[in-house]
Amino acid sequence: MKTAHEIRPGNVIMFNDSPWVVQKTETTRSGRNAAIVKMKLKNLLIDSSTETTFKGEDKMDVIVLERLDCTYSYFADPMYVFMDSEYNQYDVEAENVGDAAKYIVDGMEETCQVTFYEGKAISVEMPTTIIREVGYTEPAARGDTSGKVMKPAKLVGSDIELMVADFVKEGDKIEIDTRTGEFKKRVN
Amino acid sequence: MTSPKSSHWDIFCAVVDNYGDIGVTWRLSKQLAREYQLPIVLWVDDLKSFAHILPTLNPTLGSQTLEGVTINQWNMPLNIDYTPGAVLIEAFACELPDEVKAIAKCAPTPPLWLNLEYLSAEDWVDGCHGLPSLQSGGINKYFYMPGFSAASGGLICEKSLFDERDAWQADSANKLTLFRSLGLSGIKADDKIVSLFSYETLALEGLCARWQASSSPVHLLVPKGRSLNSLASYLPKAPADIAAGEQFCQGALTIHILPMTDQTGYDRLLWSADFNIIRGEDSFLRAQWAGRPFIWHIYQQEEDYHLVKLEAFMRLYCDNLAPEIADCWKNLNLAFNQQQADAVQQHWQNIESFALPLLAHAKQWPIDALKTTDLATRLVQFVKKSLR
Repeated sequence: MKTAHEIRPGNVIMFNDSPWVVQKTETTRSGRNAAIVKMKLKNLLIDSSTETTFKGEDKMDVIVLERLDCTYSYFADPMYVFMDSEYNQYDVEAENVGDAAKYIVDGMEETCQVTFYEGKAISVEMPTTIIREVGYTEPAARGDTSGKVMKPAKLVGSDIELMVADFVKEGDKIEIDTRTGEFKKRVN
Repeated sequence: MTSPKSSHWDIFCAVVDNYGDIGVTWRLSKQLAREYQLPIVLWVDDLKSFAHILPTLNPTLGSQTLEGVTINQWNMPLNIDYTPGAVLIEAFACELPDEVKAIAKCAPTPPLWLNLEYLSAEDWVDGCHGLPSLQSGGINKYFYMPGFSAASGGLICEKSLFDERDAWQADSANKLTLFRSLGLSGIKADDKIVSLFSYETLALEGLCARWQASSSPVHLLVPKGRSLNSLASYLPKAPADIAAGEQFCQGALTIHILPMTDQTGYDRLLWSADFNIIRGEDSFLRAQWAGRPFIWHIYQQEEDYHLVKLEAFMRLYCDNLAPEIADCWKNLNLAFNQQQADAVQQHWQNIESFALPLLAHAKQWPIDALKTTDLATRLVQFVKKSLR
């Protein structure tokens, strides 16, 4: 059992004898430090989707399905195509890639995990941390040298805008936590 | 043959900090019973705390009916049978007993199961309001999110509240009569009145220093409790030894110790003050409905997330305020919530020059915030639509 707080896109949870793949999660803070987790789920048996909410501490059955380490190959609308180490190709519907799609770029080297249900590739989970190049950000503001000063930045090859440390420059490579979408550190 | 389904609503409330959760659920229960003639059963786990805001409640009784609401002691395990009704509400994410969930799921027609959440002004509220929450056993739960937007669950406000408030505020004799009934003496009609119901904070030191040096009298009305702990340096004895009705003067400032009051009495207190400092959720909303300027001392959350919630509310509240007044009021609230005694003193001085426009805004805000419907009305509509 995992709490709703711990569920990540790509997990498959069981409700009422149906497996649901988690396509998207969004955690928000309610009162008194309690969390609300909003999820987009897809029922793997009847091919229907739903948006749903949970308390952060709600427990749910996560089922372990067959998973393979794969690398991203190319996008053939509406399918993302991944390849395993033996050059087998697997198509994953864009809808099922969910939030991970934000981080998929051509030529990416990170290994993703593709999950299978009854032989069909149903979801993709990104590694916890990935490295991406900053495409655009404003120069550092003069004088803002103390404290945790952050500024917006866009990444190369994606529409993602995230907050990065003030010292990060265009062309820098940065580490991103895919669970939260937050900047972790500069790596070059 | 199965018995016909009961039309009553069950509301479960776990009392966490004495008056917040029970304050909201009691107001909601009363309103649903009075304005919609709904049979409401309110299950409360701490009747002693509840009795502080409802003095007619007998905390030793397992079940009693007051103001049209059946109030049941919520023991674990339950010693009063739960019978499924039309609606089952868990307030503020309190965890329902397994027994209740099991009975509800097995009912021929299960009740509509709602989680009434905390009030927030953040944007995400609209996206979560009314969404189902998958539960094992086939019965859905829905998240009901109170909020300030038309797409949210709305704000608790009784239909006659604003008329009653206006009538009260139209005659200053009302507030003087109230103060006398509370045992407060030496307050004149034109004196500045500040009511205080906060958590502990260093910010109060700054405000008291400012009021002490004021050119005209300032009366600070404060109940025994957490606020008083932060006023220790202005008191001649320990907060624990202080009794309701006592008053302490330092310069222009007089601190009056309030007796406990019920919800109606607290509303009138807020209506009678020139400025209110309030905490939590229930008093926060009642201070807005008072039509007076206020500071919101928000419940502190991990990683200072409460400041995000405060900012979200302040953005809405200041939407129609002139920027210089909005900045001033926001700075005061932020400094108070960050325990910055010096800054709060400075910002208080600044807002004094905007007293009239801030008051005019405070009077208009309840009308703008409530929009066309209140939470109870929207909740009844939500239930009707969902049960169709």
